[in-house]
Amino acid sequence: MAQLGTQIESVAGARRIEATQPRLSRWRALEESRLFPAVLVLPILIFFLVWNIIPLLWLLGVSFYRFKLTSAQPEQYIGFENFRRLWESSVYWGTLGRTLTFMVCSVGLATVLGILLGLLFWGSARMPGRRLALTLLFTPMILPPVAVGTFYRLIYDPTFGVLNYYANRITGKTYDFLGDKELAFWALVAVDVWMWTPFMTLMTLAALGSVPKAELEAAEIDRLPWLKRLWYVVLPHGKFILMLGILLRTIDAFKTTDLVYLMTRGGPGNRTELVGVTLYRQGFEAFQMGNASAMAVIALLIAIAFTSIYLYVLNYRETRAALR
Amino acid sequence: MRGLDRQSADLSRAHVQLLRDVMEGRLSRRAAVKRGISLGLSTTALAGLLTARRTPRVSARQDSPLAGKTIDMTILGIAGWPPSQLGVTLAMEGFKPYAKETYGYDVNFSFEESPFDQLFQKAAASLSTGSAQYNIIISDSQWLGALAEPGWIVQLNDIIAQNPELQIEFVEAAQQGYRIYPDGSDQIWGFPQEGDTIALYVRQDLFTNPEEREAYKAANNGEDLPQTFEDWEEVDIDRFERIVSFFHRPDQGLYGTSLQYSKVYDFISCYCYPFMFSTGGEIWEGDVGSYRVEGVLDSETNAAGLARCKDFVKYGPEGVTNYGIAEEVDAFTSGSLATCLQWSALAFQMLNIDMNNPDQPADPSKPINRDMVLVTVPPGFRQADGSLRRTYTLGGQPWVINAFNDEDHMQVAIDFMKWWYQPETQAEFARRGGNPTDKATLSRPDFDTLQPHFRAYRYMLEGNSRDFWHDPNYSEMLAVQQEAFSAYVTDIEDDPMDALRYAACEQQRILFDNGRTDVEPSDSCADVTLG
Repeated sequence: MAQLGTQIESVAGARRIEATQPRLSRWRALEESRLFPAVLVLPILIFFLVWNIIPLLWLLGVSFYRFKLTSAQPEQYIGFENFRRLWESSVYWGTLGRTLTFMVCSVGLATVLGILLGLLFWGSARMPGRRLALTLLFTPMILPPVAVGTFYRLIYDPTFGVLNYYANRITGKTYDFLGDKELAFWALVAVDVWMWTPFMTLMTLAALGSVPKAELEAAEIDRLPWLKRLWYVVLPHGKFILMLGILLRTIDAFKTTDLVYLMTRGGPGNRTELVGVTLYRQGFEAFQMGNASAMAVIALLIAIAFTSIYLYVLNYRETRAALR
Repeated sequence: MRGLDRQSADLSRAHVQLLRDVMEGRLSRRAAVKRGISLGLSTTALAGLLTARRTPRVSARQDSPLAGKTIDMTILGIAGWPPSQLGVTLAMEGFKPYAKETYGYDVNFSFEESPFDQLFQKAAASLSTGSAQYNIIISDSQWLGALAEPGWIVQLNDIIAQNPELQIEFVEAAQQGYRIYPDGSDQIWGFPQEGDTIALYVRQDLFTNPEEREAYKAANNGEDLPQTFEDWEEVDIDRFERIVSFFHRPDQGLYGTSLQYSKVYDFISCYCYPFMFSTGGEIWEGDVGSYRVEGVLDSETNAAGLARCKDFVKYGPEGVTNYGIAEEVDAFTSGSLATCLQWSALAFQMLNIDMNNPDQPADPSKPINRDMVLVTVPPGFRQADGSLRRTYTLGGQPWVINAFNDEDHMQVAIDFMKWWYQPETQAEFARRGGNPTDKATLSRPDFDTLQPHFRAYRYMLEGNSRDFWHDPNYSEMLAVQQEAFSAYVTDIEDDPMDALRYAACEQQRILFDNGRTDVEPSDSCADVTLG
């Protein structure tokens, strides 16, 4: 009986194989076809085209028009007029300069702090509660900027803010962090650094993790000083990941809008007005779509420029070595 | 009406009784005929009365093309702004049964909301696509131009002409502020929803305290603290400064006063404009095609007004340069302000009054209640002839009707407006703390005493408040001005004239670029920056 059962099973199995054979062969044929890679790429290509390329071209097109949403006038082609006005606008240059300062300060501080924290955690692999500490450390990064902005507006509040409570106890003074012309900008930078330092820590840990253990052990055996070990062993391996982190942060800091909008609305005066806020205002408060599009195009070009600079720096040594 | 119904029921019972008496032989033939005739006459008279009473309603129901239908209406209003919410609450409570009774259709209202500074964006994003998502919008008055110019809202002149119920007389400030665009024309685009003016909220418990009065007298050559509404009518801005400086005691957690200096939306503009308007300043001149801001806004008068506005920063709590509506309510109701300039629409919140039960405090844990506060007129500005002038900024919002509504929704919107201006509706609106703007309600003999803030509100509305631009470029013009005024009060810009010059140049450019004026910004504007 058992033998009969086995025979029936093998017959059924053979039939199943026969039934799937044509399907498999069709799949294999498709796989071997020259079109196969294109078929695989097609969905993402369509997605990219619909959600990236077409809107980008649309944006570029609109930037050459005078197009105000609340105007009864039809949109009018004005060539580079929107760009010319921005070029001549001292206000826009001021905003751009402020944004670059914000970006450099915020990314610079977050990078330094992130690397230090990363090294600290890297060197304390056996520390009890390390995992919990890391999880808590990464919390600011996963909070939505809307929530962070709201929290910090309350924390900075001169009347009932917790920061002022301690500042008052220490210095005997009350500080209007978001209303003071000297403090507001740095109060924003501090929040951005608080929020994004964990990201740089994460990137640092990833960079350190990419260093081959053998090389680290060799450096240890050779009793290479700590700084030299970092420079000659760790950095050559980890720099790509680290630079990627810096690049992502730079682009992100350049676009900062939500945090500023929630905390200061660009004030006091225009002390915290960054490019993202100006762009939002032009687009969604003034409904000057042409002008806002021109600003967006410039922002895009600046982001591309930064990417190129980073990539060039990243590959500089290799390129130089190859040239030699 | 109920009397007629009762009589009708009584007559029916009498008919039945008569029939029963005749059938059971309890009445003689003569008596039966007599009672029958009298009952018949009564019945005829009552039937006539009932017919007369019911005829208009039946015919209105039959006339309404919507009878039997259910219509869903959406109102877009201002989030966290009690008058907006009150409009929708009353619509649900009052108009819904009224529409069923009068027109025979069912209507449901839903409320979409957005904060002051984002409501226009929300409305515009929807309206620009030709959407009827929001059937009725509670707009800010300055947006009339931006909504009317692209044809997003209905021009109401014809509708008003066809509906006598909508031919209502409003006070002039409301007529010009909430209805007309372009300024000076006869084109009507809005119906006043909520009137609003700036009022002064005074901690009466402090001002009537004998020790405080004596101390103030001693410090100010015998001058007394204002005690009554009439006393405050005589207070000019200099005396007001003396008063608020007297009460400014940061070490005790008490601050003299607060104005809305925040850069958000129109806050600082609304609260610094009175210092300019009341001293003869203007913000622009001319008409469409010839608007001139440069040389008008940046005048010596306005520079002095802006500087005077900034003087009061030092009597406010820390962070007052970020104060807006909500911050003032918090500070005042927590007992840390002796006086406060705030919109009269916020009276219930400022006085900690429960909207559903006006005799009770909204939050019993707060130290302020309605008996401790006097709502009065803000300080005046002494003119060259010695008289006092108050020209404060008009607040408030109109209803506007979406031009993309289909016929049914349009009809409901019009029916709703007719109901909104019925005397009973306006009386109920006022009873719940809303600010009416129609002359009939405002001229009621008891109006001033209906709510704690009504006397000050009416005083300011009738000739002491004015609106500013209704131009389609309002939001852009406002943004640069807020930036400039905020820069000045936070010391980024030292000279008020430089701040005004920046705003004037930018506004002139905005108007010129958008074809609203032929006047180009002057060459000197190229060098004007902020800070």
